[in-house]
Amino acid sequence: MPPANRPPSPNGAPVHLAALGKDYGRFTALKSLDLTVQEGTSLGFLGPNGAGKSTTIKIMTRLIRPSRGQATLFGLDVQREPTRALTRVGAVIETPEFYGYLTPLETLAYVGRLRRMARKDITARSEAVLKEVRLGEWAGHRIQEFSKGMKQRLAIAQALLHEPDLLVLDEPTSGLDPRGMAEIRDLIKSIKGKGRTIFMSSHLLGEVQEACDEVALLNHGELLLQGSVRDLSRGSGRSTFQATFLRPPTETELAALSGIAGIDEITPQGDGVFDLKISGGEEAQAAILEAMVRQGLRVTSFRPLGSPLEQLYLDRIKESDRI
Amino acid sequence: MMKDAFAQTLTVASYEVRKYLRGRRLIGMLVLLALIIGLILGVPPALGVKYASQPNVFVSTFAGFASLLVVLGGVLFAADALVSEHEKRTGYFLFPNPVRREVLVLGKLVASLVTSSMIISLYYLAATVAAVAVTGATTWEIGLSYAYALAYMAAVVGVAYLISAIFKSTVAATVLTFFLFTLIFAIVGSLLNLGKVAPWFIPTSAAGIIGDVLAPPTFGGPGGAFASFVPDATTSLLVFAAYFIAGSVLAILLFRRRELST
Repeated sequence: MPPANRPPSPNGAPVHLAALGKDYGRFTALKSLDLTVQEGTSLGFLGPNGAGKSTTIKIMTRLIRPSRGQATLFGLDVQREPTRALTRVGAVIETPEFYGYLTPLETLAYVGRLRRMARKDITARSEAVLKEVRLGEWAGHRIQEFSKGMKQRLAIAQALLHEPDLLVLDEPTSGLDPRGMAEIRDLIKSIKGKGRTIFMSSHLLGEVQEACDEVALLNHGELLLQGSVRDLSRGSGRSTFQATFLRPPTETELAALSGIAGIDEITPQGDGVFDLKISGGEEAQAAILEAMVRQGLRVTSFRPLGSPLEQLYLDRIKESDRI
Repeated sequence: MMKDAFAQTLTVASYEVRKYLRGRRLIGMLVLLALIIGLILGVPPALGVKYASQPNVFVSTFAGFASLLVVLGGVLFAADALVSEHEKRTGYFLFPNPVRREVLVLGKLVASLVTSSMIISLYYLAATVAAVAVTGATTWEIGLSYAYALAYMAAVVGVAYLISAIFKSTVAATVLTFFLFTLIFAIVGSLLNLGKVAPWFIPTSAAGIIGDVLAPPTFGGPGGAFASFVPDATTSLLVFAAYFIAGSVLAILLFRRRELST
């Protein structure tokens, strides 16, 4: 959208959620969420199923009303000024259904006309976005013939049609086969490369690590942590490594192993394989490996299980579940 | 802002009309229309009965089925217009756009009225052409009957929208709209008659003017048999207007508040 047509953004961040909450009767889906996403950021909104991610996104796109708090997009309250607030936003909520009697081109023309885009812009952008999501060859086919993956790609196309400044994606790879998931991830990465702000919910950590530069972790309707993927990957402090020994260690060797500084917990997996919970970063990991070799343990492999961010994610979710 | 809302309303309406034009419902409705017209025109000669020589009497046979066509139009082109956005999940794609919910309802309402009135217009056009062909004349009363049918159609569409805004299932909304106008209102009207209350405010009673304007009833009104009570034209039109306005406004209010959380 040309800058002249954009509504004013009074120092508003693309996304600002203040004490946002939602109750369904006696069930609280979202407690009190405070979250700000700065311009150009690609935020992964992580959490297990039922954490409150979709609830948050539905409030942001005014599909539902909050029970308390406020959601503002570019400084505009979604509840008070929904049409202005959503002007610079493109959204894909779950896997939307489309009108089966329309073709992708007609669907995009509908969205474009609702968004008051000029006819020539609609034509040019429709061709571009359909090509981008690899639906160009299907542009004239009725959507009733489409698979779920194709509908998901069309959903992304309609969200990109007006070149939004903020892209809101709710579980964008949900229900897709591995190839479809990889295609959508590549697409998101290319969008991210264009400097747009992305707010993407997912329960797939790998997906978020690959496509986002910031992470917010939600569970039971509460924000557990927020930070950059890089910092959280480095600074989690704990990780799990799997050590495989040439022969199963003796009792004495195991006692020596557990005495090595930095090893917090040892879990035997059988056949000379042990999972080691380790504190510290790369320096500590190298020191532990050296100590094991020094003690005469014949290590055949020593590899991380999952990423440090995954460990942090699991630890925080487990902690939150306990509370 | 108003200009944008108006343009958006027309956009929604044009795409909704396209939905009806491409759907099987319109084809089904046109087949039914052809069947009714064919039976009205084909059965009398087949039985050796002569057509009525007066245009009003001739068209009154058509008018007798107009109410049913109006109700079917409301059922097929209005009853699921709002609820389907929730049930079929198309709302997930439509609602996050910068369009007010009332604009969506108004656009859909315009489309329902246009499509339903196309059916009624075709029906009355066929009746008028047949009347001219058979009796050699047409009358203002035929035009009035058509206008009353359109007014009744607006009332049915308004109520259908209200039901569509309340219910969570398209089947439930469609079935209730159908039975409301073919059965429930009739039962309520009969019960009111038993209680010696004139059912002037029941839209199916008011719909009696569609036929009465062409062939006035032989009994009815105060002191007569309430089973065929039909209010006067002004009251009927006011009743239709009231149902249309109340139904539409309540539908807008409910649709605005309704959350998409399935």
